[in-house]
Order: sequence, then C-alpha cells, then structure tokens
Amino acid sequence: MTLLQAILDGLLIGGVYAVISIGLTLVYGVMGIVNFAQAEFLTIGMFVAWFAWAFLGLDPVLAAPLSFAVVFAIGWLVQGQLIARVLKAPSVAQIFLTVGLLIVIENGSLLLFGSQFRSVTTSYQTMSLSLGPLFISVPYLIAFAMSLACGVALWWFMRASWFGRAMRATAQNPSAAQLMGIDTDLMYKIAFALGVGLTAFGGAVILPYVTVFPGVGGQFVVLMFTVVVLGGLGSIAGAVVGGLTVGVIQALSSLFFPIQLQNLVLFIVFILVLAVRPQGLIGAHR
Amino acid sequence: MKRCLPLALVILAAALLPLLLDPRGYWIRVLTFTLLFAAMAQAWNIVGGLANQTSLGHAAFFGIGAYTSTVLLLKFGISPWLGMLAGGALGGVAALVIAIPTMRLQGHYFALATLAFGEVMRVIANVWTSLTGGPGGLSVPFVPPSFAAYSFKLLRPHAYIALVALIVVTVIFEIIRRGAMGYRLRAIKENAPAAEVIGIDTTKVKLQAAVISGILTAMLGTLYAQIAVFFDPDTVFGIASISIRIALIAIIGGVGTAAGPILGAFFIIPLEEIMNAWLSSRAAGLSQLVFGVILIAVILWRPRGFITVIDALRARLSRTVKP
Repeated sequence: MTLLQAILDGLLIGGVYAVISIGLTLVYGVMGIVNFAQAEFLTIGMFVAWFAWAFLGLDPVLAAPLSFAVVFAIGWLVQGQLIARVLKAPSVAQIFLTVGLLIVIENGSLLLFGSQFRSVTTSYQTMSLSLGPLFISVPYLIAFAMSLACGVALWWFMRASWFGRAMRATAQNPSAAQLMGIDTDLMYKIAFALGVGLTAFGGAVILPYVTVFPGVGGQFVVLMFTVVVLGGLGSIAGAVVGGLTVGVIQALSSLFFPIQLQNLVLFIVFILVLAVRPQGLIGAHR
Repeated sequence: MKRCLPLALVILAAALLPLLLDPRGYWIRVLTFTLLFAAMAQAWNIVGGLANQTSLGHAAFFGIGAYTSTVLLLKFGISPWLGMLAGGALGGVAALVIAIPTMRLQGHYFALATLAFGEVMRVIANVWTSLTGGPGGLSVPFVPPSFAAYSFKLLRPHAYIALVALIVVTVIFEIIRRGAMGYRLRAIKENAPAAEVIGIDTTKVKLQAAVISGILTAMLGTLYAQIAVFFDPDTVFGIASISIRIALIAIIGGVGTAAGPILGAFFIIPLEEIMNAWLSSRAAGLSQLVFGVILIAVILWRPRGFITVIDALRARLSRTVKP
C-alpha cells in the first residue's frame, strides 16, 4: 500500500515537473539551445507569486498566470537582447551565456530579496482527500490540475494555432519557414518567452508546498534536465512522460534510500538514459 | 616560434612575480590560484578544446585528487607527492568510467552527462562520511615543512609548484595538439564518420584524451588540497566553484589553444578576487552578479574567446608592417 501511495504522490508531483521542464525542451526543440538558466525562471516565478500573495493576498495558484506573464516579458527581452546574438555561435558560447544568466539571476534575487526562506500559508495546505486506503494531498492535487490545464493549453497552442504551426515549421527548417513568410526571430522570442513563462507558472503552483529562496532553482536543475532527457530533448510529449517518470522515481527512491541518496538515484538514471538512449525513452524526434 | 614568444614572456613574468609579491600577502595567494586554475583549464582543454567535448564535470577528477592525497596522508602518513600519483591514477580510472558511457554523446548532451557525473561524486563524498569526513570537510594535517612532505611555511614554493604544473600541462597539451593524436582529435571534431572511414579508432582516441585530462586534473586537485589546507565536498566537487569555472576559463580565453586557458585564468581569477574584496562587504551577491554580467558581456563580445582579440591585433600589426 505504501508503494501505491508513493506512486500516486510521484505522479502528482511529476505532473508539475513536466510543466516546469516543458520550457527547457521547447527552447531546445525550436532553437537548439539548452538553457542552463531555465531553473532560475522558476525562482522568479515563485518570487512573483510570493509577493502577490504577501501584498495582494492572492492565492499562489491564482497568481500563477501573473508569474507566467511577468516571466514571459522577461524572457522576451532576454531572447531578443542576449540569446539571439549567440544562435549561430559555437555551442560553448551558448552554454556559457546561459550559465552567465544563471549567475546573474541567482545573485540578483539574492541582492533584491535577501537569503531568507519565504513560504505562504493557504487554507488547503495540510488538507488531504482519502481515496479508499490512499491519501491525496490537496496542494499536490491542485498543482497537478493546474499543470494539466497548462499542458493542455500548450498542446492546443502548438497543434491548432497559427503561431504553434509557424513555430514547429521554424523548428523543422528555419530558412524554409522564412521563405514561407514566417518571422523566425519572432518565433524564437515567443518560444523562449513561452518556455520560461511555463517554468515560472510551475514555480507558482508549487509554492504552497515549496519554500522560496534565491537558490531554490538550483535544486531543480538536474531534475529538469533528467525530465527532458528521459523524454528526449526537444519533445514536448516526452517531457510529460519524463516528468511523471521522474516524479515516480523520486517517490519510490524515498521509500528505499535515505534522503541524501535520493538525488543520486536521479543522477544515475540520468547518466544511464543519456548513455543508452540519448534520443529519450519514447524516442520522439522534433 | 613567433607564436611561442608571448607565451614565454608570460611564463617569465609569472616566474618573477612570486619574488616581487609579499610572501605573506594576499596577492601571492591570488597568483597561486590563478596559475593552478590555468593549469586545470589547460587539462580541460585536452578534452574540451581538442576533442570539442565540453565537459562540465571536471570537478569529479579534481575532487578525487584532493581527497585521495589527503586521505592517504591522514590515515597512513603518505607524502602528498605519492598521494598525487595515486590520485592521478584514480582520476584516470574515473575518467574512463564516465567516458565509456558518454563517448558517443556530443555538444549539449555530453555537457549534461558530465555535469551529472560531477554531482554524483559530490553526493558520494557527502555521504561517505567515514572516508571523507562528509559535509564537515577535511583538514590537511600539519607536518614539519619540507619539500618531501609537500609542506611549506610560505606560499612562495606553492606558487612555483603551480607554475611548474601549468608549464607541464601546457607542454603536454602542445605535444598532443601537434602530434598524431591532435590530428586525430581534430579529424573527429570536424567530421567523426569521415575520421572513422579513414581508419581512426575514434572511441580509442577520445578515451585516451579523456583519461589524460582526468589524470592531470586529479593531480592538480592534490596541489589545491595542499594550498587550501581545508576543503569540503561542495568546494572540490562543486559545479560552480570548479566544473564551470574550469571550462569558463578555457572558453573565455579561447578553446583549443595553449594560450587560451592562461589568458582566461589571468582574467577571471583576479577579477573574481578583486570583486570579492571590493563588493562582498557591500551586499551579498553583488560581486557574483557583476561577475555574471561581465561574463555575459565577454561572451557576446567575443564568442570564441580573448584569443581572437590577440589574433585580430596580430593581423592588424602584420598588415601595417607589410604594406
């Protein structure tokens, strides 16, 4: 029964992992850039939601669209001013530009907000529903539902809207897309802004059960990479599968290993997947 | 020969500097670490520059070197010089262990896999308390100063050992770069399938490069342990403090060239030290913030490193000399 409970918890947490990691895979899929600073946008999203809760009395879950919007705007600027300049540079320059961004955001938030831990209190924080012998934590459930809604919206956007199709065309062949009259620079801006915005959205919905501080993003870095590599870098559907898998792996390893070794399990899974199936478990190509 | 001249001048300047600096002062410490990090970036350059495999996990080898010599000294009283050899051997084994599964990966994938490997080592060092002392770290025990025991009262000998290490690693790098192995690595970098077709055993060459780089980095870890005297898993296995910094130094300077890591180290390490000294008392995070901004600016300005500035200057000079 504890096994089932762990799997259930893992799936609920994993749904959120999927949403925060989709941005990483989206940016890679469209531009071929791995954004090492992606997790820092989770931190920003969490701070926005925390301040909305502290000063406007907004529930973090309701503040999630606000987090999305603020970080979308930041991402738009970052793409236009910084990332666009290294799209054709060697991959080391791309990696280290985003590493520089990581350092700036982490220390910028330390400078602005200080190093203290901040958390929110909500009415549903400690509530749980019982499903037969199993318990469903309400904050997990809400975060999962919000992530699901977000994922469905993104899926619709990519499949059905003109922008989504134009973005997929850009990912497949930028010069052909340009010949068809698609503004690829605009598509890159939308992709990057959307990607970091989604991560910020995920940051807001986990605020009821995760405390925010300037280094919080760092705790999610390897996790996010594991999610996208499991699903195949560049594949959005893969990120969903990867997110759920990582959630379950984490929940199960907490049953068998002491807390310090939990990340180790994740890292080893990560290296093994890269070594054995670098195209990801479901092997979808962009 | 003309290309070697600036390098020789830098080495000469570096050889004289420790004599000019106050042996108990702050700047000789900065110089020692600059030389050490230059050597580490040069060792990284064998894999990151020649084979074009951007490793973000070199802290794994570095930490192994630091821990091996210190644990041998603590538990068995073995001189760090011998500990350095043992550390180098273990570092080579570790490089082989991680290189075998990640050999086929390229670009971002390789960077991610090596990043995770560094983290695995950090977690192990934190958990294996009986050997490593865990998160509390290890202190290098005090032994009466002598060269054989690798123990000195002042920093000056450490600065010279770091300088010798930098020269040795640079010479190894140049030998590899100019030799058959360098040509093979460049062939793999340009076009791996074509290299395979003309008879290069690509797996073997990449493994060789990875192991040489791992051995050298681990040996430099021992140097670090002896200079720093105290360290913990998060410093020697750190992503930001070691892995990224090593790669960054080589990249800022110019990947794949012998001068690149030296230029990069003499830019980054003093810059960080100066900013820490000036800004860290003002507000937490300010010095790192400025550092990050400078990093972004440099990468946008020179995506291929400072070496391109020198190349451009040289091109301009030769144009004015030969009308």
